[in-house]
Amino acid sequence: MAHVVLKDLVKTYGSFKAVNEVSLTVNDGEFVALVGPSGCGKTTTLNLVAGLTSVTSGDIAIGDRVVNDLDPKDRDIAMVFQNYALYPQKSVYMNLAFPLQMRKLPKGEIDRKVREAARVLDMTQLLERKPRELSGGQQQRVALGRALVRDPAVFLMDEPLSNLDAKLRVQMRSEIKRFHQDLKATIIYVTHDQLEAVTMADRMAVMNGGYLQQYDSPAQVFAHPANMFVASFVGSPAMSLIPLEASTANGGAILTSAEGWSLALSPRNAQKVARATTRKVVLGARHSTIKLHKSSVAGAIPAKAYTVEPTGDVTFVQAFLSGAIVNISVSPNITVTPDEQIWLEFDQERMHLFDSETEMALEAN
Amino acid sequence: MSTVSETAPRGQSARRMRIDGWRWGGRAFLVFMLLYTALPMIWMLLTSIKSGFAAMQFPPQWWPDQPTLASYQKLLDPQNSVGQDFLRFFWNSLIVSTATTILSVIVAVPAAYAFSRFTFPGRNFLFFAVLLRNMFPAVIFLVPLFILMRAIGLVNTHGSLVLTYLTFGLPLAIWLLKGFYDNIPVQLEQAARIDGATRFQAFVLIVMPLSAPGIIATAIYSFIGAWNEYIYAYTFLSKNEQLTLPVGIQRFFSENSTDFPGLMAASFMMSVPVVVLFLLLQRYFVRALTEGAVKH
Repeated sequence: MAHVVLKDLVKTYGSFKAVNEVSLTVNDGEFVALVGPSGCGKTTTLNLVAGLTSVTSGDIAIGDRVVNDLDPKDRDIAMVFQNYALYPQKSVYMNLAFPLQMRKLPKGEIDRKVREAARVLDMTQLLERKPRELSGGQQQRVALGRALVRDPAVFLMDEPLSNLDAKLRVQMRSEIKRFHQDLKATIIYVTHDQLEAVTMADRMAVMNGGYLQQYDSPAQVFAHPANMFVASFVGSPAMSLIPLEASTANGGAILTSAEGWSLALSPRNAQKVARATTRKVVLGARHSTIKLHKSSVAGAIPAKAYTVEPTGDVTFVQAFLSGAIVNISVSPNITVTPDEQIWLEFDQERMHLFDSETEMALEAN
Repeated sequence: MSTVSETAPRGQSARRMRIDGWRWGGRAFLVFMLLYTALPMIWMLLTSIKSGFAAMQFPPQWWPDQPTLASYQKLLDPQNSVGQDFLRFFWNSLIVSTATTILSVIVAVPAAYAFSRFTFPGRNFLFFAVLLRNMFPAVIFLVPLFILMRAIGLVNTHGSLVLTYLTFGLPLAIWLLKGFYDNIPVQLEQAARIDGATRFQAFVLIVMPLSAPGIIATAIYSFIGAWNEYIYAYTFLSKNEQLTLPVGIQRFFSENSTDFPGLMAASFMMSVPVVVLFLLLQRYFVRALTEGAVKH
């Protein structure tokens, strides 16, 4: 196993910058998820690490070696592809053996390693089959087996779960996580699904428009999103972002809506707002931090319920505030009907404030 | 449940009634097409086993009174001059067609792969330039190519034919094969390269076996094209010992009499290699032509 260091990595296609000054370090044995919407540069970044795409500028180091100019085969990596990329003409056994044959290992050792990998992944009985005779989950496992059979320095995974159905995806998610724990493998995992990143990764690198937005543990990213993009991308349903105007009244800070209502801020939140470059700030609140009242309460803001979605465990209520959609989760035994008058109370401790100019999170010192 | 099973067949039969006319019309058309294509060949076979006299009778003998393999014996007999010629023409055709096929595969495989996998300046222009040739009838190039061949001293050599057939066969060969390579996910090569293969090894070990049907189809296509070609062979070659079969077969026509059984026997034997090739490999041929038509 080895650590991976990306330094000021840039990849341009003509005038289009697919990856922009990305720097991050993946520690030895760490599981890092690159996550972001389509076209954010996450797959390009992975291909750069793999050596399938050439670097425009910047450095990639695997272990203590700068690998910029090395062929993929010389980088000591393994990769799992979204479509698995199993060799269709080869049996499962030969698929697993291929990386070892390419490295000219003795036949006996190849056989031993292939059978060991098959045993670990519980597919000994599948060894003679061709990939097309396998189910999606089995194919995925063979792809994983082909990666682990060689004991590479780094595992690269490009949306390995995207082609599976929902149930299998959840199951394979825990299997890959287990695989990481057992092998203490260094894994770089690309996904567009923030839930996969949050549930599996030690650290997640959120990307957008070719830029690295935030690189931290899922808990930190969730609790302290660096900017409005990360705030809205991580978490489901998305964090509600309400544009408001800051002002002072009676010695305290308040946020005023164009709709006429206002919200008094705690001293700590007032400190945050004071650091904004503009008076326009954005209030961010996750569904679970907003309390829904069916009657007027001091400090609560009046709103109208727009849609109500019961999911069984919780019921999600959507409402509009200052033109923004607000998601609130309530216990299923509270019945809310659409168009009903409700009052929303924000948790001062757990609310987020963003500068509407820079879109960056406002922090109190 | 019972209501469903009762109503379903009724709806089905109603639908069947409506399309019956079309269905029979379609069958009649297929039968007509079958006869249209098969009858000349059957007639060729029947004529080839008649005697010269029986072949000229009118009304024709639908089935020869005295079937004979004399024409075949004559053609395949190296002792007699007709047989010598026929076997030589057959051999010439085989050489020209095989050389064309091998060269066309050798050129088309890397060319198609490059068109499919790499982006390089002028890629689209080159690809359409390759196809441009196919927009003109072959005859247009007859005189210019003859002058060219004379200038480089290739007239009356088989090389002139191989070269010409390549210019006609390669565009479609490249086009066919590119479709094949487009359908092989690039991730397979990427996986192979990560698994320790060089780019070339990834091509030879992973992509080539997968494109075997395409390569086979391309080979058949080139072979058939070269085997049947007439006008260039007729123009470029004038020495008897160099003629290919399509031109050579003309020798059975003469001013006073035409040896129809001999001509038909020669035609039949000429079609044997093509038919055998096609029957053996038709699976691949059909697959190649429809490759990329639907998403898998």
